[in-house]
Order: sequence, then C-alpha cells, then structure tokens
Amino acid sequence: MQTTSARIDLTIKSDPAEIAAVRKAVEETAAAAGLDEQGIAEVGLCVNEALANVIRHAYGGVKDRPIVVSAHCQDEGLVVTIRDWGNGVNPASLPPRPYDPLEPGGLGLICLWRMMSHVNYIPQGDGMLLVMKKRKPTPPAGPKAERP
Amino acid sequence: MSEVNPGMDLVPSTRVDAASRAVVATIRGEIDLHNSTDLRGVLLELLSKHEPKRLILNLAQVPYMDSSAIAVLVESLQKIRKIGGRIFLTDLQPRVKGLLEIARLDSIFVVAKDEADALSKP
Repeated sequence: MQTTSARIDLTIKSDPAEIAAVRKAVEETAAAAGLDEQGIAEVGLCVNEALANVIRHAYGGVKDRPIVVSAHCQDEGLVVTIRDWGNGVNPASLPPRPYDPLEPGGLGLICLWRMMSHVNYIPQGDGMLLVMKKRKPTPPAGPKAERP
Repeated sequence: MSEVNPGMDLVPSTRVDAASRAVVATIRGEIDLHNSTDLRGVLLELLSKHEPKRLILNLAQVPYMDSSAIAVLVESLQKIRKIGGRIFLTDLQPRVKGLLEIARLDSIFVVAKDEADALSKP
C-alpha cells in the first residue's frame, strides 16, 4: 500500500470495516487536490457509497475479496478509481426507477451522479472499473486590469 | 425521564418519558455500512419495547452517515408510523444534513434544533 497526500493506491478487502479508512484517505487526497470543504465531503461520501455498492452487490456481501482504490490529483481536480473483481454488473446499465425516499436503495448512485463531475463504469471482463472525477471549484474572476 | 443504557458506544444513552411516550436516544460516531446494522438493532428494539409516539434522535455527535444509515432511519420511520408515532432528528451536523436533503428526507423526518425543541413541538 502506498499513500501520499497527492496520490493514494490502496488494496483492501471487501469488508465494510475498511470503508471509513479509505474514505478518509481519499478525502486527504481531495484536500491536496485543492477541493473545498464541500467538495471533499462529497468525494468522501461517493467513495463510501461506491465501495458499499461493490461490497453488497458486486461481491454479494463476501468480505475477503479484493478492491483496489486509487486517487490522484490532476490540474482540474481529483480522479478516483475503484476496481473490483465481482459480478461485473454495471450499475449504470440497470433500468432507471423513480426515486422514492421511503423505499430502500438507489441513494448511493444518486449521490455519485449528483456530486461527482464525471462517473464512468468500465466493464473489465473479470469485474468492473469505476472512474470518478471531481473538479475543483472555479475561482472567482479577479478585478479587471486597469488601462494605463 | 428514566435512563436506559443500551450498552453501546454507538448509542451511549437513552431516556424514556413514559408519560409522553417519548424516547430520546443519543447517537455517537460515524455511521456507515460497517455499523449501521448495530444502529438498526438498537432503534428497532427501542420501538418494539417502548412503542413511543416520538422517537428523538440526538445526532450532535454524528459527524457523518452514509446511505445505509439513512436506510435504517427510514425503516425506523416506517415502523413508528404504524403506531402513530414520529421521528425527530436534532442537532444535525452539516454532512448529515446535506445527505438528508439529497435523500429528500429533510421534510419527512421532523428536524428540530435540539432535544428541547423536539420535545416542545406539537
């Protein structure tokens, strides 16, 4: 396992006990990437939800399967990838259903679509690769230069 | 109110007011898929044991929760509605408040400033 503030590469087991530490490590990288507090929180939640989906759905709750999580800074913000070797079902290809707040399920994916700038599930043949990106907030325009 | 000790770090204290059929539970810590089933067990036991008209969850010490925790709250809400009760969420921290808003649950649960506010609401 390699961890730095600008990049992390983590290999974990599909155990829910692992989620919090990964979330916090990615949040640190998001901070290093220049995201603001809200952006950092949103990235953390999306990593949590994506990992929970892998554990519950791709691996069916089995706790000893591998998951590789990477995060690194880019000029535009943060890139997070999550690789699993599960059932290969692409959550993005599932038929959409109207969200009902009083019915279980679906909230995790809603968080991903709404909070991340880019979400792409890439089937791997032996599992799934999720690529998520979060752009840095655009700085406010500075004062216009005065003419001499 | 009488004190009940659930014996868990996650729910360190619970108070029951039999007269008003109110239960106040203090929840502590981050809640995700790892421990949301523990929270589920405590809340469902409180509901079945006391059948409260109002279940007040003090979330001042919950800086973070995920969708699995939200699912536990929704399940508890479905249960308490069957006995004519309501769930009050107090002292929401920013991340928890944000997730409730995305889940469109901020208007389904009764959100109160603090425990006193929850107890005083009609």
